[in-house]
Amino acid sequence: MDNKYIESMLSEMDKDLSAQGMSRRDAMKLAGLSSAGLFLGATSTASADEEKIVKNDAKAKIVIVGGGLAGISTAARLTLNLSNPDITIIEPEETSASYQPGQTLVGAGIWDADDILYKRDDFVPDGVKVIKERAILFNPQKNNLTTETGQVITYDYLILAMGVQLDFERIKGLEEAGRAYSSGNNDKLMNALGDSICSIYTAQGSVKTWEIMQKYIAQAKSGKKTKFIFTHPSTPIKCGGAPKKIIYLTNARLKEEGARENAELTFYPNGGAMFGVPEYHDAIVGQFKREGIKHHYRHNLIEVDKEKKIATFDSKWQEKGPWDPVMKDFEVIPKHEKLRVPYDFLHVSPAQIAPREIAESDLGSAKGWIPVNKETLQHIRYENVFSIGDVAQVPMGKTGGSVRKQYKVLVDNLIAHMNSKKLEAKYAGYTVCPLITDIGTVMLAEFDWTVTPTPSFPLDPTVERWIFWLMKVYALKPMTMYGMMSGRA
Amino acid sequence: MQIEFELVTYNEALDTFELDETMYQMEISDEDAQTYELLKSSDLNLYNWLKESEQFINYIREEIYPDSDKKKVAISDINGTTFRRFYFFKVTSGDSHYEYFKKLFGIHEESDWQDREEIGEEILESLLVKRQELIINLEVNTMDDNIDEEA
Repeated sequence: MDNKYIESMLSEMDKDLSAQGMSRRDAMKLAGLSSAGLFLGATSTASADEEKIVKNDAKAKIVIVGGGLAGISTAARLTLNLSNPDITIIEPEETSASYQPGQTLVGAGIWDADDILYKRDDFVPDGVKVIKERAILFNPQKNNLTTETGQVITYDYLILAMGVQLDFERIKGLEEAGRAYSSGNNDKLMNALGDSICSIYTAQGSVKTWEIMQKYIAQAKSGKKTKFIFTHPSTPIKCGGAPKKIIYLTNARLKEEGARENAELTFYPNGGAMFGVPEYHDAIVGQFKREGIKHHYRHNLIEVDKEKKIATFDSKWQEKGPWDPVMKDFEVIPKHEKLRVPYDFLHVSPAQIAPREIAESDLGSAKGWIPVNKETLQHIRYENVFSIGDVAQVPMGKTGGSVRKQYKVLVDNLIAHMNSKKLEAKYAGYTVCPLITDIGTVMLAEFDWTVTPTPSFPLDPTVERWIFWLMKVYALKPMTMYGMMSGRA
Repeated sequence: MQIEFELVTYNEALDTFELDETMYQMEISDEDAQTYELLKSSDLNLYNWLKESEQFINYIREEIYPDSDKKKVAISDINGTTFRRFYFFKVTSGDSHYEYFKKLFGIHEESDWQDREEIGEEILESLLVKRQELIINLEVNTMDDNIDEEA
């Protein structure tokens, strides 16, 4: 970890706090370090409830596919809530429990690779069995699935938490990259990306991002004009703020090296706005303007020429169409063309899709995601199947912050179903994105399906604050790894 | 009080709608007028109220399409409240229709990533179901009639 920033921030914090008669310890407590129940979207009532867990005697064989944050947190919570839990996790990757939100910080050289690397087996709750294989066939009509070695696993309840695949292979020029998961060995992907293309969306890729970033910051520092290009794909992605966080951190590192004036930073998002919540969109546009970061909406990366260092985007726009006499309104005609953009440094946020085996099974929707009731997280066709996290077809739910709300709802509803009771727990769409806007500041974007800010703190949520940076760097990881992964936070 | 309304006819084989292009008028009772006033600002509640109204359905059967007892229709406009977008929405339709359906179908646009075309397709998918709820089947229930006759 880069201690220089931490010391500088702590010093600033102490100055601010002492002016208000508050100690650092009290401030951290307020921010949630000591009490995860007071942290991000939780209430004191919820905190009190957590201390009164009454074990339920219902029995069932529960299989969880996926041993990442969502899968393990759910297993842990079920273990806490059931007197006789019979839980099996199916997860082939031994580092599946790694701390993904830290990949941005690794990508900017603030954390080291070791700061985010965690082993699945260190977090699997006592008594929970692990099958270290991939599930490849699902037969929900017969309540079983098959692993890659042909083991047929039966279940009473199935929880799908296998996350997303990173679809680099759809970009022409990167076909050999294939599809990747965030954790695990991604040598093939690294080789395919080469020395000027990077992505923080894998743990390995975040390390390489920092290497490549330093190389091109040095180039800019040497006086050569250097183009930094950043993308955002045409699919839902995990942590929608991440593509912007790495821009802000690149910007911060360039400024720190005195190389900013020779660098041109440009963001090409596929969508037509910076953020789905207007308040945060406006704030980000203002930050981009302040920092001199360019952006061009409605550009989707479709091809790269690694030798010539050209990124090709599908550039889209709309034109006013003919009058529609039936609807009594003008039509809107979508147009598009290819746009070739030269780059020195290219950060790719890849398209993200449901794992093939789910998309091709009866459990997946037409788009591959698992169709669940967005409030109860129960599958819309199979009442003994639930889904959570990135793979679930829940709007705006692909963050760890969403999982933190979802896994308790899922466990409550699953146990209710085991007891033939109504599913009463409801997920309200809460999502949190600590948007790093500089080294030392974070805008804490919290929102739900009302598409309005839902701040946990009595502070203007569109303001970048150092206290949230401290929260991001210090508090979130322990809360996630030791609070959520133990089923308590 | 009179209500003015327009209809669309539904072609089941082609799963398409066609504007009738005639403005119809129907007199409603004072009690119904009060109900109308209560519901007029909530378009689908207004629609469902009329769809369930025996007087309204009988008026269409008897006064508008007396010879087409197997016809399926839907309301396209009631006193200036339009339902046309339910039947004629296209991916190229104007933004106001997108906003309406996103709200109605709970489509939360993550404008970071979603295309207008993609949302449009999602709206059309939801409309396949919604339209069926709006269609009014003018076919007389023959079983009920038989029972009545026997009685």
